[in-house]
Amino acid sequence: MEKFEPVIIAFVCNWCTYTAADLAGTSRLSYPTNIRLIRVMCTGMVDPQYVIKAFLEGADGVLISGCHPGDCHYINGNYKARRRIKLLKEILPRFGIEKDRLHLTWIGASDGIEFAEIMTQLNDQIIEIGPSQTRLSKVI
Amino acid sequence: MMIKIEHEDNSLTKGLQQFFKRLLETREIDALFLPVRLKDSSSIMPSLVTESVQVDNAVPLSPAFPLNSGRMVSRLSYKLSGRKTAVLLRPCEIRAFIELIKLKQGSRQELILIGIDCPKALSSSDYTAYMEKDPLDDDAYIQKVFSENDKTLNGFNFSSACNTCENPFPVNTDMNILLHGVDLSDGMIVESASETGQNILETLNMQQATEPVKRDEVVAQIKEAGLKANEEMIKDIEEKTNSITKLNSFLDRCINCYNCRNMCPVCYCKECVFNTDVFYHQPVQYHQWAEKKGAVKLPTDTVFYHLTRLAHISHACVGCGQCSNACPSDINVFELFKSVAQNTQAAFEYSPGTDENEPPPLSVFHEKEFEDIIGIERE
Repeated sequence: MEKFEPVIIAFVCNWCTYTAADLAGTSRLSYPTNIRLIRVMCTGMVDPQYVIKAFLEGADGVLISGCHPGDCHYINGNYKARRRIKLLKEILPRFGIEKDRLHLTWIGASDGIEFAEIMTQLNDQIIEIGPSQTRLSKVI
Repeated sequence: MMIKIEHEDNSLTKGLQQFFKRLLETREIDALFLPVRLKDSSSIMPSLVTESVQVDNAVPLSPAFPLNSGRMVSRLSYKLSGRKTAVLLRPCEIRAFIELIKLKQGSRQELILIGIDCPKALSSSDYTAYMEKDPLDDDAYIQKVFSENDKTLNGFNFSSACNTCENPFPVNTDMNILLHGVDLSDGMIVESASETGQNILETLNMQQATEPVKRDEVVAQIKEAGLKANEEMIKDIEEKTNSITKLNSFLDRCINCYNCRNMCPVCYCKECVFNTDVFYHQPVQYHQWAEKKGAVKLPTDTVFYHLTRLAHISHACVGCGQCSNACPSDINVFELFKSVAQNTQAAFEYSPGTDENEPPPLSVFHEKEFEDIIGIERE
């Protein structure tokens, strides 16, 4: 059987997690290429719509990652993100999109190693859950 | 304080009309906002009434529920008018209006909110059919709803929102008109629910009433029946929509008319993202979708639209059922919304429309909360 290569969309904030990804790169660490990073200025700007759209278009997993509590460049964007992810975690599983397909993490700018580890772990986890049902259906 | 509304010419409706006329004549208020039967018509629409003789056409308790008036009261109150208005609303309309107040789209400053034990409703299409087929007169309707607690009316089902309502009683008002647990052969009771309400009732000089003894018991029974019906409904709809594929089938008749959004009293955006260029796709985009999946149904973005609406306002859903009422494709959007709203409201311990000072859950945050959703450990 062909190996399942998931599509994982990661919304990462400019100031922390994206910087961590950059650091991982410059430190020559590798992480799974299944993860597509989308740089946003702050996790607080990730509209629940972005996440819903990603899943409807066939993403197998979505990650939102930003600064640790208290470190947000915009003071409190990550707290707002947390409520929105909480909301989505109530809504999406009701329609069969498993809770574990959606994650929120805090990865600081200096956590290059942690970034690479978490991405690997996330990828393994999504592979274990399997392909998302929206992948093959004609849902738009 | 409680006062009694007596029958007028053996009619409860006329007794109620008399009460509203007195209210208007006290000069404590400048206008009334309540359901009125339109001239030469069987349509009953919420109307702003300033002339006491017009109150003769008022139908405070009817099966017509063409729209959630909470939205209309928002239009009457988002700026000061220099006039005092008494508004009569169903419990779910009050809840919706309270939600709009939180969003600064309405104000109680110039309003007297009058709540009423909910007289239930038919869907607008059923109401039209019912009116053509030997309808009950206004008084007989009141007797039927408040003494029998039936789920049907002359063979028509009350709307599923009404049959599964666990809270058809007014809260957050200035005064309430009570019918449940009240001996209707003796009239109705108006209780004051705020200081303003009490002051107004005092100026009316009407006969005082005593607390209806059976009310608590009847209220508890109705709540319990509503909860039970609600539970069954939710079980059923969850079964029907528990995967994206099933949800897609459930919504596949949707024509993106957005009526459910327009009639939703708590869908609050001034400009909806679905009306913006974001969804005015390039022709090539449709081709790309079709090429990716082999075929694409138009209009597109229907499941996306409903999921987005759930994310935006399910926390504020007051369960009025107007989304289903407005759907030309007869999709039971209400059941879908209520089943999700229940989860989101529980997650944020939020109860829409019950407390003006309770901020909407997505407008606030705390430093320490929902720590369990952080990180990628399997749950």
